[in-house]
Amino acid sequence: MNTPEDAAPPAVLEAQDVAVHYGGVKAVDGFGLKLEAGRICGILGPNGSGKSTFLAAVTRLVPLTRGRLMLDGEEYHNTPAASLAHRGVARTFQTVRLLPDLTVLENIQLGADLRAGGGGVKQWFRRTAVPEAVEEAIERTGLGAVRSARPGELSYGMARRVEIARALATRPRVLLLDEPTAGMNQAERREVSQLMQKLRDEGLTQLLVEHDVPMMVDTCDRLVAMKSGELVTEGAPAEVVRDPAVQEAYLGKRGRNHA
Amino acid sequence: MSYWYDAHLILIQSTFVSLLLALSIQFPLRMGVFSFAGIGSYGIGAYAAAIMTIRYSWPAFAAIGAGMVVAMVAGYLLALLVSRLDGLYLGMATIAFTLILTVVAINGGSLTGGAQGLYGAISTLQTGQVILVCAVVVVLLALSERGRMGRRIDAVREDPELAVSVGIRVIRMRRMAFVVSGALGACAGGMNALLRTTVSPDDVGFSLVVLALTMIIVGGSRSWAGALIGSVIFTWLPQVLQAVGDWQTVVYGVIVALTAVYVPSGLLGVAQNGYRRMRRRSGPVAGATEKATGSEEPGGDSAPLEPLSEDVPTGGTR
Repeated sequence: MNTPEDAAPPAVLEAQDVAVHYGGVKAVDGFGLKLEAGRICGILGPNGSGKSTFLAAVTRLVPLTRGRLMLDGEEYHNTPAASLAHRGVARTFQTVRLLPDLTVLENIQLGADLRAGGGGVKQWFRRTAVPEAVEEAIERTGLGAVRSARPGELSYGMARRVEIARALATRPRVLLLDEPTAGMNQAERREVSQLMQKLRDEGLTQLLVEHDVPMMVDTCDRLVAMKSGELVTEGAPAEVVRDPAVQEAYLGKRGRNHA
Repeated sequence: MSYWYDAHLILIQSTFVSLLLALSIQFPLRMGVFSFAGIGSYGIGAYAAAIMTIRYSWPAFAAIGAGMVVAMVAGYLLALLVSRLDGLYLGMATIAFTLILTVVAINGGSLTGGAQGLYGAISTLQTGQVILVCAVVVVLLALSERGRMGRRIDAVREDPELAVSVGIRVIRMRRMAFVVSGALGACAGGMNALLRTTVSPDDVGFSLVVLALTMIIVGGSRSWAGALIGSVIFTWLPQVLQAVGDWQTVVYGVIVALTAVYVPSGLLGVAQNGYRRMRRRSGPVAGATEKATGSEEPGGDSAPLEPLSEDVPTGGTR
């Protein structure tokens, strides 16, 4: 997996020198990364290091203070967030965000609705989303048994899977996952990791924000370390985790090496 | 028709007009847009229909349609103007829109008939036609509560940020809410003006804001059926409450306050919960026993590097 830089596949999504400032708070301050086609990139960083804000900036949910965002080499920092979704960028959120009154199935259909086409008046009469996309997402995330349950009846880990399924149902080219396994047990984490690797083998470009270092090392092709909104280092997972600056920033005094 | 129908014709007509009025507030509300512009549109529709009928002798539906077009354009422009507002501030701004229209009506000279309003808007509009229009509107709105459109409206209300992340153009949806609200409000106003053959500034003022909101709160804010329940109750209640005379308003207030406190989902919500509970008793959902709430932070977050044991992690276990 340690492909040398020059043999790297083309970048599907690229962020350069991204900064997001809220008044005097510099949540993200000059961070950037490249998502290479069909690879999994991970962002490693302690709580409050700006990972989620960076994801929000990349998905156009918060405005950039400065920086460049590019999809397929084309700048998109004026594209509305909804259009970005139509161009194949899907994401999950750090907290579970499901619609409480809809069933699991309907929550996933909400993702597939994106590919149903036909805006305006036509959408008024359209009943079903793309059924194949929905069924595929349900099968992949193992949610068949709870499809007619409501989010309030699910365990946290199950609810997180629905989040992933909804994103998958949009049939994305780029999938951004913000702590998808938080609150899951080890077995569930392994399943998510395996699912991500399978999706990668099918060519899906992914970005993973996670706290579980061993899982990230297993799953990602490349890691980017972040601290206080800035880039610390990047490279092959095993090397990044061994990097003294990362150990200092992320692992703290314990200095344990999870690789 | 029967004696009862003839004796209560005005109330029957009012019920359907109120239904459209309530729906004009409810539709934007379903997208989380707290807008009373539908009431202003009611005024636009009422005056436009009356003016077109009295001055130009337009047929009923053309006169009503003219008002709807004006109100839809006004709704769109208003949506652009208040696009940055939300919640209470949006509510206030749209009430201001309604009040401004009342002032325009009072000071509109011979066009609006000033404080006296307009008389003699005699048309061929039949009660049956009103009911037919309501039926079409209800079918369209019922469709918007199901399937793809229903999900999208729910997403826009519950979580606009999530909505855009799955490709829903939230701003466009909200603008559409203003336009639809304008059409419904103006249709209600136009029909009422032609049924009564008259319109005055008092008919389109602040009291309608209260009435429409009351109908939705008590009936239910999520579905057309709630608006129907509310419009039936609050059109016929004054009739029932004639016995208590001046205390009517007090009884009104108590009903609204009690519903808001004890059944925030309205009478429709009560009925739906009962139905759901009955169905659930017959067959619980497999593998869905634990409860999780969407807003809670996962339990593993505080100690991110510790491997989690098999049974600890669910953040929202009951």
